[in-house]
Amino acid sequence: MSEAVLALAGARKGRPSILQRLVGQALARNLSCLIVPGPEVALVHGLDVAAAGMRIAATPRDAAVLLVIGELSQKLDEAAAVLYAQMPRPRAILVLGGPAPSSLPHADVSASLSQAELIDAAGRLQRALAEGAFAASPEDFDASVLQARTEYVCPMHPEVVEDEPGSCPKCGMDLVAREAGADTGAEETTPEHGHDHEHHKDHDHEHHHDDHKHHHDHHHAHGQHNGGTHEHSEHDHEGHEHHHGSEHHMEHHQESSGGHEHHDHVGGHDHDAMGFMSMVEVTKDLPRSADGLQMDWIEVPFGPVFPGLPGGLRLTLTLDGDGVTEGQATSLVGMTTEGEDGDEGKEMDAEAFVERLASSMPLASVSYRLLACRAIERAAGLEDDPAAARAHASALERERIASHLGWLAQLGRQLSFVWLTRRATSLQLETRHANRDQLVALRPALRALTVRLERTPLLKARLRGIGTLPGSSHDLRGPVARAAGYREDARLANALYEDLRFEIRTEESPPDAWARLQVRLAEITASLDLVEAAGEPRLPTLRDIGSASGTGEVTVETPRGRAGLRLTLERGQVTSLKMDTACSHHIGLVANLVEGRELGDALVAVGSLDLSPWEVIQ
Amino acid sequence: MTVAVVLVALLGSAWLLAVIEAWLTTGRLRPVAPLLAGLSHLGRESLLPRKPDRLFFETAPVLLLVVAVLGAAVLPLAPGLVIADLATGALFVNTALAYVLVALIMAGWGPNGAYAMIGGWRFLGQLIAYAMLIVMPITAVAMRAESLLTTTIVGSQEGLWNIVYQPLGFVLFFIAAMALAFRAPFDLPTAAGELAGGVDAEYTGVRLAVLRLARLVLVVTLAAATTVFYLGGWHGPLLPPWAWSLIKTLAVAVSMLLAGRYLPRIREADLMRWCWTLGIPLALLNIFIVGLLILVVP
Amino acid sequence: MYAQAFFVAVFGLAAIGFGVAVFRTSSMVRSALALLFSQTAVGCMFLAMQTEFLGVLQIMMMATEMSIMTIFMVMFMMDPGGLGGMDMSHQKRFSLGAGAIAASVAIAVALLADWGPVTAEAPDAAMQTRALGIELLGRSMLIFETAGVTILTAMIAATAVAIPVHTLADNGDKEASE
Repeated sequence: MSEAVLALAGARKGRPSILQRLVGQALARNLSCLIVPGPEVALVHGLDVAAAGMRIAATPRDAAVLLVIGELSQKLDEAAAVLYAQMPRPRAILVLGGPAPSSLPHADVSASLSQAELIDAAGRLQRALAEGAFAASPEDFDASVLQARTEYVCPMHPEVVEDEPGSCPKCGMDLVAREAGADTGAEETTPEHGHDHEHHKDHDHEHHHDDHKHHHDHHHAHGQHNGGTHEHSEHDHEGHEHHHGSEHHMEHHQESSGGHEHHDHVGGHDHDAMGFMSMVEVTKDLPRSADGLQMDWIEVPFGPVFPGLPGGLRLTLTLDGDGVTEGQATSLVGMTTEGEDGDEGKEMDAEAFVERLASSMPLASVSYRLLACRAIERAAGLEDDPAAARAHASALERERIASHLGWLAQLGRQLSFVWLTRRATSLQLETRHANRDQLVALRPALRALTVRLERTPLLKARLRGIGTLPGSSHDLRGPVARAAGYREDARLANALYEDLRFEIRTEESPPDAWARLQVRLAEITASLDLVEAAGEPRLPTLRDIGSASGTGEVTVETPRGRAGLRLTLERGQVTSLKMDTACSHHIGLVANLVEGRELGDALVAVGSLDLSPWEVIQ
Repeated sequence: MTVAVVLVALLGSAWLLAVIEAWLTTGRLRPVAPLLAGLSHLGRESLLPRKPDRLFFETAPVLLLVVAVLGAAVLPLAPGLVIADLATGALFVNTALAYVLVALIMAGWGPNGAYAMIGGWRFLGQLIAYAMLIVMPITAVAMRAESLLTTTIVGSQEGLWNIVYQPLGFVLFFIAAMALAFRAPFDLPTAAGELAGGVDAEYTGVRLAVLRLARLVLVVTLAAATTVFYLGGWHGPLLPPWAWSLIKTLAVAVSMLLAGRYLPRIREADLMRWCWTLGIPLALLNIFIVGLLILVVP
Repeated sequence: MYAQAFFVAVFGLAAIGFGVAVFRTSSMVRSALALLFSQTAVGCMFLAMQTEFLGVLQIMMMATEMSIMTIFMVMFMMDPGGLGGMDMSHQKRFSLGAGAIAASVAIAVALLADWGPVTAEAPDAAMQTRALGIELLGRSMLIFETAGVTILTAMIAATAVAIPVHTLADNGDKEASE
């Protein structure tokens, strides 16, 4: 057995010795993994990571294994590279049910998406770690996303940006190095060219870790200029990791983001002459935050792999202390309809389209499968089959229960409410493929969960008044709309649900996170009633449509709200489609919900919307 | 000798606590788990974040460990089994633990990361909430014992433990101790769901091992302080005094861990509001009641 | 005796060293924490001089006070991290003079004051604590209460003055202009 074969791609430098074998063993028996895109995706695939003997790490710093689930979008792929770079060695990659992300080194272990495979893979990973945690000459990891370019700016004139060091053509000062990829947005809000002001926008886009927020960039040995890219993070033990310098900052050049740092020393120019520098004088023209202090904004990315938010969602918050000044959410995994499917020339087989839509919405695949099937059948002119419709409705309601449980687990993760996460997770795993009788048997457990949450101390205080939607909110859907008192539900228009005695439940209290919790808890029970009335759940499958042509438009009430799909069939091929999902609308609410809130409250508010970044149509 | 015994007891308790904590999270009772975790931390890279305040970054975990141990140094395990029986013991515990704040500010500022920084400042904000609820209940305890000596305080509870004599003080102190140990639901500085680890976020390898150990020892120290101040320290039937001290300390520590599992994280603003509008008046009331009891009951 | 003198000297030098560090760094946080440790060293001097209660109290108070000062310095200063390499020392000539005068006055007082007879043995720590408590609740009560309330008032007033009054109209303007 040659060492080269066994060594992990992310092995740590060191000669294999007894001590290191011991450490390798310890590592192998103490696996912590960071899940990309996120633990909720693992759950919808039925993967119980804890049962496979791994701990879910909140951060890449804490993780030894990068667990990649399914195929990643381009942006998430790059994010995964950044996360991987932040993990301390020895580190390993485990890929389940997808190709290894292109920006990462080869997967140490790969398997398909099932719990049995995961357990087996965890075992293989343990052996790999025990044997190959240390290697004499480990591979370097480098990816284009990790590269940073240095450019030179004048501290006084931010518009002066040069590729080479030198002096400013305007004032003659020495140019200061910074990482490239800076945007010019910072200046817009900065009066007088950012003079006397430290306004930093920093974007390192990926994970939470790399925010080198310059405003307290306090290594005063390098204080004057921040040394460009030469100030690499130091690895205490391994000198060989030259790439680490760039892996801790990660600006994208493609995206117009960048470490924007023009700082200048306050009063540095006149303290010799004048003695005192006047802080009032220096800061009088600067923008002020709510507390009346001139602000030191930092722009901090949360996500796309952040423990308190759904994976794939990137929340960018401009923070003033721990208050949020502004923020917005974007999806890194959202489906694009224009580029691919909207193309007139591109056709897709109806079957393939159903599969594709279902798999690109992992958090609500049954709903979107149903949506696609019904739209195609409608386009083909087929009548609804009542018996099948009942079974499909039952499956849809089952997914709603599972999805709301998944949201509860996510809420538990966000609030460090361990009991809730574990309870909701295990219930979600049980619900996923349960048949009608099994679901009915779960009723007491679900009821107990609801009662328990209503009685949990601190929970109401934590959620009440948080994420209150403004009265003028429109375009609300699903539980978010119903929590705001709107009778908004696609199921109301469905005759089948009338037969099942479906009753909509809305919340009259203020439309806040607590109301949304109440609505979702009530819907779990209501959906259980529907499953019981509708009969055995069955996954929707596409009926034979032959080579029909036509246009079909349907709506389905997904767990997150009404989704509409309009598509055109030509000779059995899907030629064009237009989709409208709840999350595409809800993601726009984020800016309003977070503004002016404390950071924790802002995150709870975003979480309470139950955004699925996959269901954001871009 | 005493020093060695107390340190072994402290580390042993921290280890047991870690075993119990792992048991609660994974459902498996593995006595070697903390050792394996420690070993694997030691075996991993200890990364320095980019442009840290290295002095603070390096100092913080060590300072946290040192103050937690110093706090335990004045807490008696059994009669005579105390590293330093200071005449200002009850105040000294508080003094040592005041530097938890300093360590967290360092850990927050040091790594040069927004998450850590917010975590550090949050803990400072939390101080305003909990600090008074540490000091004022201790005042009432010292009033009863008429001494700041921790051994005398234990002695004063021989007939009746302080948890019965001043239950209000116990509740306030217990909550404040949890806040000081920054365990859930008071884990504002580390909040995984909000700050991705906060002050812990940038630590890896050896430094993380020290930090984790320090946090465990801090919980044990605070639990030991609760035992000494309210649960009658070493008093108890049948078992030897040191065993009672250890059992009570572990019970308090485990209940601190357990409480966090069944509660969502408290809002910073709520913590502040409740501590000031409810906690401090109650603590004053506690002092008043204890004062009355001392005067009325001989 | 010699050990005591040695520790007093060591902690005294540490206090001075940290005090110098306050002005030798350009980071506000470092500066504030250096001041904290300087004060801690003074507390340790108290301990070395067998005034246990005062020492422990000093060490405790300074931890929280200086930490709070840190956040104020970070809040109000524009460059809390010392990015610009700001020089913390100002009015050098004046401060040199003032420092020299203050030092000579302190030395003069130390040398010239009548310190009374040297106590052979300090009372034990518990006695000291007790005596201190009786003193604080006796004739010194008024002084301490006055000083305490004055400091509190000054802190509240300073903070209130530093934060401009916000009216609703102001907020509206601000949002409109941003």
